[in-house]
Amino acid sequence: MLAGRHPVLHAVDGVDLTIRKGETVGLLGESGCGKTTTGRLILRLEEPTTGTIRFDGTDIVGLKGPALRAFRRRAQLVFQNPFDALNPRFTILRALAEPLVNAGIDRAEHRARIERALSRVHLPGLDRIAERFPHQLSGGQLQRIVLARALVLEPEFLVADEPVSMLDVSVRAGVLNVMREVRDAMGLAAVYISHDLALVRYVCERTLVMYLGRVVEDGPTEAVVRDPQHPYSRALVKAVPVPHVDQSHDPLPIIGSVPDARDPPSGCRFRDRCPSAVARCAEESPALREIAPGRRAACHLI
Amino acid sequence: MSLLAIQDLEITYRTQRGICRAVDGATFEVPAGAVVGLVGESGCGKTTVARAITGVLARNAEIAAGRMIFAGRDLVGLDRRAYNDLRWRDIAFIPQSAMNSLDPVYRVGTQIAEVLTIRGGFDRARAGRRAVELFEMVGLNPQRLSDYPHQFSGGMRQRAAIALALALNPKLVIADEPVTALDVIVQRQVLDTIRDLQRRLGISVILVTHDISVVAYVCDYVVVMYAGQVVEAGATDAVLSRPRHPYTMGLYNAFPDLQRSGDLLVPIEGSPPDLFEPPEGCRFAPRCPFVLDRCQTASPPLDRTDTRHLSACWRTAEASELRNRAREASTWLHS
Ligand SMILES: Nc1ncnc2c1ncn2[C@@H]1O[C@H](COP(=O)(O)OP(=O)(O)O)[C@@H](O)[C@H]1O
Ligand code: SF4
Ligand code: SF4
Ligand SMILES: [Mg+2]
Repeated sequence: MLAGRHPVLHAVDGVDLTIRKGETVGLLGESGCGKTTTGRLILRLEEPTTGTIRFDGTDIVGLKGPALRAFRRRAQLVFQNPFDALNPRFTILRALAEPLVNAGIDRAEHRARIERALSRVHLPGLDRIAERFPHQLSGGQLQRIVLARALVLEPEFLVADEPVSMLDVSVRAGVLNVMREVRDAMGLAAVYISHDLALVRYVCERTLVMYLGRVVEDGPTEAVVRDPQHPYSRALVKAVPVPHVDQSHDPLPIIGSVPDARDPPSGCRFRDRCPSAVARCAEESPALREIAPGRRAACHLI
Repeated sequence: MSLLAIQDLEITYRTQRGICRAVDGATFEVPAGAVVGLVGESGCGKTTVARAITGVLARNAEIAAGRMIFAGRDLVGLDRRAYNDLRWRDIAFIPQSAMNSLDPVYRVGTQIAEVLTIRGGFDRARAGRRAVELFEMVGLNPQRLSDYPHQFSGGMRQRAAIALALALNPKLVIADEPVTALDVIVQRQVLDTIRDLQRRLGISVILVTHDISVVAYVCDYVVVMYAGQVVEAGATDAVLSRPRHPYTMGLYNAFPDLQRSGDLLVPIEGSPPDLFEPPEGCRFAPRCPFVLDRCQTASPPLDRTDTRHLSACWRTAEASELRNRAREASTWLHS
């Protein structure tokens, strides 16, 4: 179990997550559901108060000093907004070399590593962009730079937090395709955080749906999309608009809006918005349990 | 009859770098009682068009040419006073971030009352009652009228901005990216509210968005912009299911669709042209897989042969063949 750093907020608790090599897992939910905090906890950018996070057999929660630095080299974060992720006064070369410098990689190796990362994200060679500044590149190029920057240390694990939400649709597809290629070529394990199920589906074999800091459903993405089991997942799937006029305009099976995360309802946290809630839902918190092979959900009625 | 007709509109910005030709030939109509989606990627000029119609362009902007006929009257060249009479009462604008239409230091109710009294001539008691009515209309609890904007969630703020826009019963509401920052569930609820009110009040809405799924969900008509120009316009179903312009075809391929399975998303390689020095010829030519020699030299006019479905492409007559080719990913990946 993971718990938030601020004891009052408990942004994340009861998250139990296993990711295999070469697998991309989606963390899906609305803002405030704890996706980003979960991502930061997994990377030890934030300290969990309880629980264990095993990475390649080692519990990373207590890691300090050299062991923590070694872990950080193997696990990288891809930021949401390329404009925030890159210092506007640093050249692209400096931005790409920064992780190498911090990790104490021999200078002689920098160029080859950077070139390799750039070719993985389909950017032209370093010579063409080395001395440019972020504002001289397009959003799509910048997001590829941000991705390349996360790859220069050849990590084994990547957390991508809404990596394409700031990009225009026509270039977003290119960045998503690059992410899929990189994962396959490097055998990366990755967590892809998003509120957009259509995008999660494009990159993730498995999806965890989160609500107020809890995982409410977990299963193969295709199964979650086609046959969502948890009442919250059902509303989420129905809410996604599609690009043709032939679609349902029925009201969503959900009530009201997300309550304050500091004061979640007793029992099932979704109960004040759930159209199927029964008395038991107020008293007892539903456990995340297996409902079919490879699928889990946290609801008393399933 | 159209409530609003935009004809050959051109808008420039004066900047240190020179003249930015932000809107360079925009033509479209907004029928009475319809929701029209103005769609395109960032920087294509959507907000500039929206602000021009509302008379709130930036100071360095100039309407260089064109007409904006609203209810029989040209809005181009209208003086400040005339615009002040028109704004809120005939045309209301909801700016890109709902935070921009709500002042953080005043209670939301106070701001609505101010529009009602100053712009609408309501007395205080009537303004109070109208504010309650407006909040109920958009699905907000009237008790929240005494809250400050920061006490609202993103979705509530957007609803409050809609309430404010509707205060004086305008005929046209222009909403700039009203749901872009919202999560899907809240987005859907706000879109339902907009659609519901639009029908109930019989008003027209221009919905500015970069998301064709949002257009598909609520808009009767869609106007597609690319690099400052209208490239395609027509009924939503026609434009989305039988696009005539290669840019619209490409946009569609790049969009994930939860109802289709397993399709590869296909990017449109490259980026839009520099609006300071737009290329001669078709502005989409550098990214277009169907480009011909003439596209490089001559700009395709908006073809109005079929007034219900306009397109600005030299190859509009071949649209159905191009559509078939556009569905193949390879068409776009090796251009
Ligand atoms: N106040 C301004 N001064 C100079 N250029 C501007 C200004 N506002 C917008 N622009 C430019 O005008 C073009 C169109 O912008 P905008 O209308 O905001 O597009 P959109 O809303 O479609 O993203 C862009 O190239 C943008 O950089
Ligand atoms: S446990 Fe009860 S309230 Fe929670 S999702 Fe299931 S039915 Fe709804
Ligand atoms: S005019 Fe030519 S370049 Fe422009 S969209 Fe049509 S085919 Fe493509
Ligand atoms: Mg805009």
